[in-house]
Amino acid sequence: MKTDDLIDMLAKNVEPAERPQWRMRMMLTLLGGLAIAVALVLTFMGMRPDIGTATWPVLLKAGFSAAAAAIILPLAMRLMRPGAPIGWRMAAVLIFVGVSLLATFIALMGMPSEARMHAWMGGGFPWCIVLIPIFAAPAAALMVWLARSFAPTRLTLSGAAIGALSGGLGAMAYAMYCPVDSVAFVTTWYVVGIAICATLGAIVGSKLLRW
Amino acid sequence: MADEAELRALLLKGLAGDEAAHRKFLTEAAALLRPYFRNRLRGAPEDAEDLVQETLVALHTRRDTYDPNLPLTAWMYAIARYRLIDLLRRKKRRGDHTAIDDLEIGDADPAFEAGDAKRDVTRLLAKLPEKQRRAIELVKLQEHSVEEASKLTGYGVSDIKVSIHRGMKALMKLMAEESAA
Repeated sequence: MKTDDLIDMLAKNVEPAERPQWRMRMMLTLLGGLAIAVALVLTFMGMRPDIGTATWPVLLKAGFSAAAAAIILPLAMRLMRPGAPIGWRMAAVLIFVGVSLLATFIALMGMPSEARMHAWMGGGFPWCIVLIPIFAAPAAALMVWLARSFAPTRLTLSGAAIGALSGGLGAMAYAMYCPVDSVAFVTTWYVVGIAICATLGAIVGSKLLRW
Repeated sequence: MADEAELRALLLKGLAGDEAAHRKFLTEAAALLRPYFRNRLRGAPEDAEDLVQETLVALHTRRDTYDPNLPLTAWMYAIARYRLIDLLRRKKRRGDHTAIDDLEIGDADPAFEAGDAKRDVTRLLAKLPEKQRRAIELVKLQEHSVEEASKLTGYGVSDIKVSIHRGMKALMKLMAEESAA
């Protein structure tokens, strides 16, 4: 088929394009991913037993995770469209990481030196860096499916953004179980957990997001 | 050759359902894409024309990803560049980090007639699932409207539209697979 004939075929009886409603579909995807993550945490980990007295720390941790997701969202949305400049969106993510580091430092400096290690590590291995990616995985799968109906052209970066965004959702759900409430723990290991999600996303992005 | 503003206006009219504008947009886009690909695939004008066709189908099926607040040519060339990278990846000529800007610019073969692609899209259409193929044949190749195609096949009107859209996306995939083979 000659190119002119192909053009004829594409143009013939062309329908008005429906408004794609990306924002609505993204919101639904985020809600769906979060709901699955919450269900997984409740099923396999359970709500922390002292939730009655620990409501505020849980809300703060979930809020921190939600803030991370909200700051990654504009970048992830941008990367799904061809040729749209990223601009400040990447800088916002880096600033968030910087502020988290700073908060870790300030929180640790504000306590006696012998208590610092425990506050930072949470008294053991920070399991959230393993569990956050696991709870984020279903949200990531939903988001990949959404992204493929857009037209991402920078697949590695898109994969990283999708990974980080779903990591934020996974961390929100994980906060219901997470027994460690120290600021330095959250601002370090939640961020590391989300960064691991971003790394995994970058690795698989160039395969899964092809169209 | 059309400039940014003209191309953008044509695409937006096409998005609103203006067939003539959409045809003009695709024709102008092809004229811009041809030298773009030829310059980047030296000595392989048939590969270049394959990519022109593949990219036209991509621009058509993904046209709703264009954000009217952003430059149209950035959108178009981002898709073109992606199709080229995807081809290069498929061919495994280079690693995953192909820098397109580093590719040497070669001479386009002046004797090669614009519009001749190596592969035949008509043959690829035959590989589509029956419903998609029928819908595309009736509406996009023959002179039937969507409503007539619905009556002829017994499928609903929106079913026909969805089948055409999915069929076009599947067609682009087939084109991409074949050009890398």
